[in-house]
Amino acid sequence: MLDEMGGGVTKKNSKLKVFKKQIWIQSMILGGLIFLLIFSYVPMAGIIIAFKEYKISSGLEGMFTSKWVGLKWFIEFLSSNMFFVVVRNTLVLSLLKLVLVFPVPIIFAVMLNEMKNGKFKKAVQTASYLPHFLSWIVVSGLCFTMFSSTYGLVNEVLIKLGVITQPLKILTTGSQYWGLAIGTELWKEMGWSAIIFIAAISGIDGTLYEAAQVDGASRMQKIFHITIPSMKGIIIVMFILSLGGLVGGNMEQALLLGNDLNREYSEIINSYVMKVGLSQFRFDYATAVGLMQSVISVTLVMGSNSLSRKISGASLY
Amino acid sequence: MISAGKKKRKRTTEDYIIDSVVWITMILVVILTLYPFYYCVVQAFNNGIDSTLGGVYFFPRVPTLENFTILLSDGSWGNAIVISVSRTIIGTLLGVLVTSILAYALSFEHVLFRGVYYKIYIFTMYFSGGMIPFYVLLKNLQLINSFWVYVIPGMLNVYYMLIMINFFQTIPKSLFESARLDGANDYTIFLKIALPLSKASLATIALFFAVGQWNSWIDSVYYITKDHLRPMSYLMMQIINKSAISSSKMDAQSAAYAASAQQSTTTSLQMAAMVLAVVPILVVYPFLQKYFVKGVMIGAVKE
Repeated sequence: MLDEMGGGVTKKNSKLKVFKKQIWIQSMILGGLIFLLIFSYVPMAGIIIAFKEYKISSGLEGMFTSKWVGLKWFIEFLSSNMFFVVVRNTLVLSLLKLVLVFPVPIIFAVMLNEMKNGKFKKAVQTASYLPHFLSWIVVSGLCFTMFSSTYGLVNEVLIKLGVITQPLKILTTGSQYWGLAIGTELWKEMGWSAIIFIAAISGIDGTLYEAAQVDGASRMQKIFHITIPSMKGIIIVMFILSLGGLVGGNMEQALLLGNDLNREYSEIINSYVMKVGLSQFRFDYATAVGLMQSVISVTLVMGSNSLSRKISGASLY
Repeated sequence: MISAGKKKRKRTTEDYIIDSVVWITMILVVILTLYPFYYCVVQAFNNGIDSTLGGVYFFPRVPTLENFTILLSDGSWGNAIVISVSRTIIGTLLGVLVTSILAYALSFEHVLFRGVYYKIYIFTMYFSGGMIPFYVLLKNLQLINSFWVYVIPGMLNVYYMLIMINFFQTIPKSLFESARLDGANDYTIFLKIALPLSKASLATIALFFAVGQWNSWIDSVYYITKDHLRPMSYLMMQIINKSAISSSKMDAQSAAYAASAQQSTTTSLQMAAMVLAVVPILVVYPFLQKYFVKGVMIGAVKE
C-alpha cells in the first residue's frame, strides 16, 4: 500500500509523482467533486439572491447581475406577522420532540431487553422498524383513516361506545396539531431510533448481571444499576446530536398534516419557504428566510458536534 | 445470560409484574403499529359504499377487488406505477454505483489531499444553498419537467458514502494491492474485487436509496408539472388530500371517480392506493432486515 500508492514518500517535489500513481483513484474523487460543485456549491453561491431582487426569468447569470437590495428581505420577514408564527412552531415542535420523543426509544430498548429471546421479541422488533420505511404520505393517510371527523376509525368507535356524541376534529383543530405531530413522529420513528440503544444493551458484559444476581439484586435494581448506566455514553451522544437538529423541522409532515384550519400551528420555516418561494414565486425573499434558518442550524450542528466530541469522544464526522 | 441465571431461582412477584408490564406494552406496540395498516387493507378490499356504514374492522364485509380495478384502470395510475418503478430502479443503481465508487476511492488512507476532499464532501452535509437556489439551478440545467430530476441530483449521498467508507476500510488492503501489482487499474479492482466483497453493505445502502426513491413526492410537487411524469406517491398524496378534510366536499375529479364507480368512494380508493404503495416495501423488507440493522450501526456514530 505504502509503496504502490506512494504514501511513504516525503520529498515535496514528488507529490506530482504520487498523484500520477494514484491517477485512477484521483479521477474517481474528481468526478464526485464535479458533481458536488454543480449540485451543492453552485446553489450555495446562489444564496446571494437573498440580498438581491431576483426574477427567475433572468436565469443563472441573473443571480449575480441583478440589483442589490441589502437586507430588505430579512427585514421584511422579521417584521412580518408570519415571523413569530413559523419560528415559534419550528422551535416548539423541535423542543417537544426532543423532550417527549427522545426518551421513548430508550425505554423501549430497555423493555425489549427484559423479554426472553423468542419469536415474539423478534416480531416486536420487526414490526417496530417497519413504519420508518413508510413515506410520510402513507403515514398521513393512515392518520386521516384513524382520526378523520367524517370517516375516521377512532371517532366511529368512540361514538359507538358512547364516549363522545360529536366527532373529535383532531385533524382540523389548530391546538391539536402539535400533539398530532409528536404522535405521528413517535409512531414512525420509535423502533428505528431504538436500534442503536438495543445494540448498546447487547454489548453489555453478561457477567455484570451474574455478579448482581449473586449479590441478590432485583430486576429493577439491575435495570437501574447496570442496563441504564451502561447506556449512558450513547444516550449522551444521541441527545447532543439531536440538539443539532433543533431548527430543522419536518417539512413533509408540515406539508401533509398541515391544512388551512391548523395553519397557525403547523406552518414551520421549511414549509413556509417552499410556499412563498415555489408557489408565490418570491425566490429572493424565500431564499433569505431559508438562509436565516440554515445559518442557525449549521451553528447548532457544529456546536453540538464538538460538544459531543469533547464529552464522549464520539462525533458525526 | 440473564435468563440462564434466572432459571435457578423461583419467579418472584417482581418477575410477574415486570414481565406482565413488558408483555402488555409490547403487545400494544405491535397492535398500534400494525393495526392501522391492517384496517386499511380491510377497507381496501371492502365495497366502498358498504364501508361508509362503518363497522368493518377485521374482515371485509362485502369483499371486492373493485377499488383496485378502478384505480388501475385509470391510465394515470398505470403510468405512475411505471414512473415509480423506473425511478426506483434507475435511482438505486446510479446511487449505489456513484456513492460506492467514491467511498472506495476515499477509503485509502494515503490518497493525496484526502483531508481536503473529506472537508469538501462533508461540508455539503451540513450546509446547502437551500431549496430556492437549488430550484433555479435545476431550471437552468433543464432538469425541471424531466424524469432525470428524480435520479440525478440524488446520485451521491454523502452520508451513505461515509457508511461505505467505514466498510471498505475493513477489507484487507493487500487484496487490492496484489491486483494493482498485476497491472489492474482501480476501476477494475473496484468492480471485480471491492464490490463482490461488500454485498451486505451494498444491500444496505441499496435499500435506503430504493425506499427513498419509492417514497419521494416533494420533488414531483415542485419540480414537475407534467402529468405523465407523476410517480405513485404523488397521486396518492392527491387522493389523500381529497378525502382528508371533508369527504362530502368532492371536487370534479373525485366526483368523476365516484360516478364512474358507483360502488366505490374516494376513501376506499385512498385505502387501495396506500396498500399498493406499501406492498413492495413489505415484500423486500423481511429479507433485508438483517442488513439494514448492521448498516445503521456502522454509520450511526464514528468513534
